[in-house]
Amino acid sequence: MSGAGGVYTVKEDWYARITVVVAFIALLLGGVFGVLQVISRTPYWPNLYEMLARIGLGASADELYYRGLTAHGVLLAIVLTTFYIVGISAYLTPRVLGINIRPVFLNVSLAMMVVGLVIAAIAIVLGWANVLYTFYLPLVGHPFFYLGAALLILGSWVFAAGAFLAFLEWRKANPGVGIPLVFFGILTAFIVWIMATTPLVFIVLKNHIPASLLGWSTDALESRLFFWWFGHALVYFWLVPAITLWYYYVPKALGVPLFSETMAKVAFALFILASTPVGLHHQFADPGVNPYYKYIQTFLTLVVASPSMLTAFNIIATMERGGRARGGEGLLGWIFKQPWRDPVYLGLVLAFVTFGNGGITGIINASYQLNNVVHNTTWVVGHFHTTVGTAVALTFMVYTFILLRELYGRELILRGLAPAVPLLWFIGMMIFSLAYYAAGLEGAPRRTSDPTYGGFMPAEWALPLQIGAIGGLIFAVGGLIFLVQFFGSLAGGARIPLAQPATLLLNPHPPGRATILDRISLLIVAAIILNVLAYSGALIEIYSRGLQPVPPLLP
Amino acid sequence: MESREVAFEFIWILIILAVIAGFSASMAYYGFARGLNPACTVYTEEELEAKGIKLEPGVKEVGPGIYEVTIEARQFVWIPREIVLKDPVRVTFRVYTPDVVHGLHIVGTSVNVMVIPGYVAEFVWEPPRGMKGETIFICHEYCGIGHQLMWGKIVIERSGVMLDGGLSGGVLGGGGVR
Repeated sequence: MSGAGGVYTVKEDWYARITVVVAFIALLLGGVFGVLQVISRTPYWPNLYEMLARIGLGASADELYYRGLTAHGVLLAIVLTTFYIVGISAYLTPRVLGINIRPVFLNVSLAMMVVGLVIAAIAIVLGWANVLYTFYLPLVGHPFFYLGAALLILGSWVFAAGAFLAFLEWRKANPGVGIPLVFFGILTAFIVWIMATTPLVFIVLKNHIPASLLGWSTDALESRLFFWWFGHALVYFWLVPAITLWYYYVPKALGVPLFSETMAKVAFALFILASTPVGLHHQFADPGVNPYYKYIQTFLTLVVASPSMLTAFNIIATMERGGRARGGEGLLGWIFKQPWRDPVYLGLVLAFVTFGNGGITGIINASYQLNNVVHNTTWVVGHFHTTVGTAVALTFMVYTFILLRELYGRELILRGLAPAVPLLWFIGMMIFSLAYYAAGLEGAPRRTSDPTYGGFMPAEWALPLQIGAIGGLIFAVGGLIFLVQFFGSLAGGARIPLAQPATLLLNPHPPGRATILDRISLLIVAAIILNVLAYSGALIEIYSRGLQPVPPLLP
Repeated sequence: MESREVAFEFIWILIILAVIAGFSASMAYYGFARGLNPACTVYTEEELEAKGIKLEPGVKEVGPGIYEVTIEARQFVWIPREIVLKDPVRVTFRVYTPDVVHGLHIVGTSVNVMVIPGYVAEFVWEPPRGMKGETIFICHEYCGIGHQLMWGKIVIERSGVMLDGGLSGGVLGGGGVR
């Protein structure tokens, strides 16, 4: 390794400090909208948006609901995740590789992302883009919404380019050395991100911006196809950094090596291969796509579930190994010998456990025929709150307890409350998700400001939706405690001097020799071929049938 | 790593492969051997016209218990809003929209399909023989500010003695619908 045990990370840390703060401002605002909507959409509970409409916000309660829902989705699924991921990657990359990211990439990336965020936020807050986070054409929002989102994404590409360059420099300096696992994770996340966002940027330029700016007619099915080509790969862009933090921190906290670094790299390689050609499983119910193409992507979705199953084994095996090293005996004794008092460890493991819940429901969603029962019901809401809403978000939150010390140089305030954050989030999310699964199985829809349908709502919906809302409020309290701790520590936590150069993180252990898994370009080429194979059928079908353009309409 | 640990690793990988193979085989069997596909036959409006089928919202009984139901989805209403089926055996739905993306879900059934402008979703539904009474059908894809107003009623009337499930008086598995 270059850098002789240390590397100056001043610029990267500056970038990471800003992006992580933006991420948690998004968590705060997105969380407020989440609380408003979970109360307002629950049968027989007060409609808070009704009250907001009455005090004269110049919009109806329903419009405010959908405006809030758009903000909730965009802030939490796009802003929180993307900003946190570029931040943590900027923080980790030099510390793992011993090589700096060139400052120009960081400056340009930050400027583009922040400007894009502001432009899109203006459109959303003013109600110019009540199109929800999936923005299906021909519903159309203000051009600012699309331009802002595109700038934000392109800004993250600039960061990715900087990280790739640092990696190439590292590879030149370390021929024949295997890629450090943590950086393998970062690399995987950004490869998936670029493969995912390419179809999105294409369709936004081809359809959304012309529809919004010039009123052009566009084909709704074509837009959905490209959106979901992006939309499902996106989830692995969220998930892979969280998994990387599990692989990094769980063995570190236990003081043992990861059970199998090879298995971890195989998991990342499978994510690169199979993350993107799976979007059609969001379109099982769409007319216009042949069942055979849907089935091919169903199979690939099962393939991309396999790295998560490998991760489950690897993490649990590491926990067992660590628990036994700490004196745990018998079949399950190791469970009681975990460092549960460490809120970061506790949080990561609870996030990991919740991912089991979300992973299983994900396989059900993707199961071709079964999807008909749950498509667009609250079941799906339960699913993505356990995955991105917990496996990812909770991981990011608790890991921030470490960033406060090591990135911001601040002591955590209200230390004793730290375990309450993962515990409340976990308990609340379990209640929320199970109740929303139950309501979804009865057919309760997602994405509606009022599921009572003039009193004709099936009676079975009310109770699970109410229980789910209680779960939602419980994890909101966990989130609030976290936000108070985070912003409170930044404002008033005792200062800790930050050492420069920063120490290199050689974890889980120094990388060994390079293997075939470290040949990233091979993986990328294979992934592109797989995408072409998986999508060519549906694309040829849509274009050879002839597009069916329809004019854009306001929501 | 001990050899025992390596053995566990391989056993787990075999389990994963078995899960993938088993799940994908069962879905393929039901999909392609038994015809249980989530997708529906699809036409563009032109293709349908070429076949001599005109899209007119309404319910038509073309034979005893054999229905053709054509539904138009609009921001923010279903046309027709109420569908009455007497002793339905086989119902062919054609659903279309002139404006934005909608979704049709008949609550309590597995009828769940996207409605995309320019495309006509055609599918066949065989209601469970014990199903009777009222249920609602709703728009499940956000279609604009009035999305939540978009619902309608399906009434299934049964004559004569119910052979199975008729005692429940509700829809699917006895779930009461108000």
